[in-house]
Amino acid sequence: MTDTVAESIQELDQAQVLRTAAGSRRRRYLAVLLGWLVFIGLWWLLSLWVDSEARLPSPGRVFQEIVIILQGDFWTQFWASIVRVVAGFLAAVLIGTPVGFFMGRSKYWGNFLQSPVIVAGSIPGLTYAVMAFVVFGISFWGPVLAVGLIAMPYVAINVAEGVRGVDRRLVEMSTAYGRNETQVFRHVTVPSVLPFVFAGVRLSFSLAWKVGTLTEVFGSSKGIGFQIRRNYQLFNMPGVIAWVLLFVLFMLLIERFILVRLERRLFRWRQWEREA
Amino acid sequence: MTAAPVAIPEAPTPPGGVRRWLNSPVGAQVTAAVVFIGAWQLLTLIAPRVPGPIEVMQFLFVEITGGSHGGIVRGQFFEHFAITLQRFSLGLFFGFVSGLLVGILIGSSTLARALLNDTVLVLLTMPAFVWAFLTTMWFGITWQAPVLTVAFASFPFVAINVAQGVRAIAPELRHMSTAFEVGRWKHFRHLTVPAVAGYIFAGLRFAIIIGWNGILLSEWFSGQAGVGFRTRYWFDANRYRGFVGWVIVFIVFIVLVDRVILNRLQARAFRWRDQKEVDFIEIQEQQVGL
Amino acid sequence: MARVAIDRLSKTFPPPTKGGDPVVAIGDISLDVEGNVFVSIVGPSGCGKSTLLNILSGVETPTRGSASVTEGDRPAHLGYVFQDARLLPWRTVMDNMMYVRDDGDAGAAKAALYLDMVGLSHTHDMFPGQLSGGMQQRVGIARAFSVEPDLLLMDEPFSHLDAITARSLRDHLQELWSATRKTVLFVTHDVVEAVQLSDRIIVLAPGGRIFDDITIDLPPRSPRQKPLVSRRGWPLRASGRRGPPPPSRGTRRR
Repeated sequence: MTDTVAESIQELDQAQVLRTAAGSRRRRYLAVLLGWLVFIGLWWLLSLWVDSEARLPSPGRVFQEIVIILQGDFWTQFWASIVRVVAGFLAAVLIGTPVGFFMGRSKYWGNFLQSPVIVAGSIPGLTYAVMAFVVFGISFWGPVLAVGLIAMPYVAINVAEGVRGVDRRLVEMSTAYGRNETQVFRHVTVPSVLPFVFAGVRLSFSLAWKVGTLTEVFGSSKGIGFQIRRNYQLFNMPGVIAWVLLFVLFMLLIERFILVRLERRLFRWRQWEREA
Repeated sequence: MTAAPVAIPEAPTPPGGVRRWLNSPVGAQVTAAVVFIGAWQLLTLIAPRVPGPIEVMQFLFVEITGGSHGGIVRGQFFEHFAITLQRFSLGLFFGFVSGLLVGILIGSSTLARALLNDTVLVLLTMPAFVWAFLTTMWFGITWQAPVLTVAFASFPFVAINVAQGVRAIAPELRHMSTAFEVGRWKHFRHLTVPAVAGYIFAGLRFAIIIGWNGILLSEWFSGQAGVGFRTRYWFDANRYRGFVGWVIVFIVFIVLVDRVILNRLQARAFRWRDQKEVDFIEIQEQQVGL
Repeated sequence: MARVAIDRLSKTFPPPTKGGDPVVAIGDISLDVEGNVFVSIVGPSGCGKSTLLNILSGVETPTRGSASVTEGDRPAHLGYVFQDARLLPWRTVMDNMMYVRDDGDAGAAKAALYLDMVGLSHTHDMFPGQLSGGMQQRVGIARAFSVEPDLLLMDEPFSHLDAITARSLRDHLQELWSATRKTVLFVTHDVVEAVQLSDRIIVLAPGGRIFDDITIDLPPRSPRQKPLVSRRGWPLRASGRRGPPPPSRGTRRR
């Protein structure tokens, strides 16, 4: 039948795609590695030319510093930041999701909340950081508040978008088959909104971290932001760069290995939809 | 949705002009603004240290007019704002141009992409305040620090967007032009430019939002003048009405530039695009925020 | 035996543009269908065919008049096949089959049986996005039959498919119907399809009125047999006449 023919063609294609993909992946890894080498090489040359540790320390010197930090209190400091950012994020999702629901479900509340959410989304992070400092002083809650405030609009906008995007035809289908509201909510609404929530979380993730660390610069005695600031005040350039690099690497690792994989696993069905 | 599991208090739609207006989109937004100002006023009653809206407006009046009616004497406002704008545009120019070049490179060559992509990603992940610190450590309290902060902070966003645009010139379209024997110039003019222009524009919008945050931070930490410096000046002086006033100034500025000017321009220039796509780009854009 | 009773039913939609006229989807229809018959509703697009099915399935409410679907003295159990498959993209094929039923493992066996009948027993754990359009529609058909409905509503189920897939699905449908003999209301704009499948054809005119009501009485056919439509015209037009239809007897084939 036509379907079987189509399937076998698809299988053939997939095998071929997989084979070429393996080859090009190896080449890509090599090029990326080369990219990092070039980056570090250029940095090294530049540091030789500048010849001042206080302005641009060599990669080796920064690496030493990283090793010292890793042997020292790296995990305590990172853990402090992680807990705050995650707490703020949870608050953002807990508040942003219902707000987004309102915005998506009701035209009136959509209009009512639209401008505040947009304005909140354009407010520079400095504002939140200073505000959190004013409210809480040097405290655990400052970064939590700032992260929550900055991430909330994005979660809300995305949830609203997701709720507006719930496929009416699937709701009709459910009504025709006599499904009740709880079932529709669980099997239609939640799965179609979830990718939007996730997108909101993913896209505001790096933003939240940046604001979280900025808040630690102002009002904290712990955390990555505080460490960067301390080294800045001591005019310890290798220290600043080492902490920043650790922060960046940490972010990239979370992004690549946790968030991307989680998304792929949670939304396995979307992969096929996109290909179709 | 017919199957709402949560009851939504939908505003009733009775007849009558005022009520209907209140339920209209504009009415809802005006209501939101009034509620916000009301809540702010209430907050001052609970926490007396929080400056109220009237207090802040009075401050801004003095800051702008120098306290004289009719604006004969000019206040501090214009001087600081002009300095910031000057540095901001200079930094934006550097960041945008370099981002454009690197973006085209990454987008058109696989090798360049493999070599540079991760570097750009690293730069993308750096918080703007780090640039403020680094540039201060390099140049001290000078005009270079804020300018370079803006340039460094906005550069990766432009580069990534432009690269995406260059790569997104759909191969199908390219084939179509080849099939119809479209000339080189025509191809560039009608295909490459419109396809990439949207991404370049989006990159510019990112650059503006990101750069604005960057310059505020830089001036806050190491400025002698400018909007960020002035905000900090009032903050350090424990005069919160000044602080809040300037915060409102820089928020209003960026909202006006981004939402009113750039948004309109974009909507006009890219009418051919699917509205949904434009909305999505906007959402994405906000998500990168700073 | 399901009974569909439609009494002076009207459905009007609000005007699409401000100041326009309200849209009459269904204008005063009365109809009675009883027994294990396959009834097609044909007509040009915009004559209220789909609206009629939506009202019967409870998705929409009538403006005036009444429509009821009963089995004995209880409301009938419905199956619905839509124009598009309408599967939940985030659930596997099997989970989609289970979504419309309230029994547990006992239902799973039944769902598997019907999937097997449409030739999709190998797709249980696949997502709809992994299937072709025709296969998705087959899942939709299997889903509708698997709830073992008293009345089956079908809304142009083959119109989105290419001709070859549509023909093979039509055969599938006929086999399933011969095996189960449900009461079916089948909406289509394809007269040939209607003639091939049905016992009775109701022709709607624009504005949602019944234009014609035809009963087809044919010798038993094998599923693959071509429909008996001659080029000379309409030899099958048995009881066609304008205006409200006569109280219908379900005419069986055989």
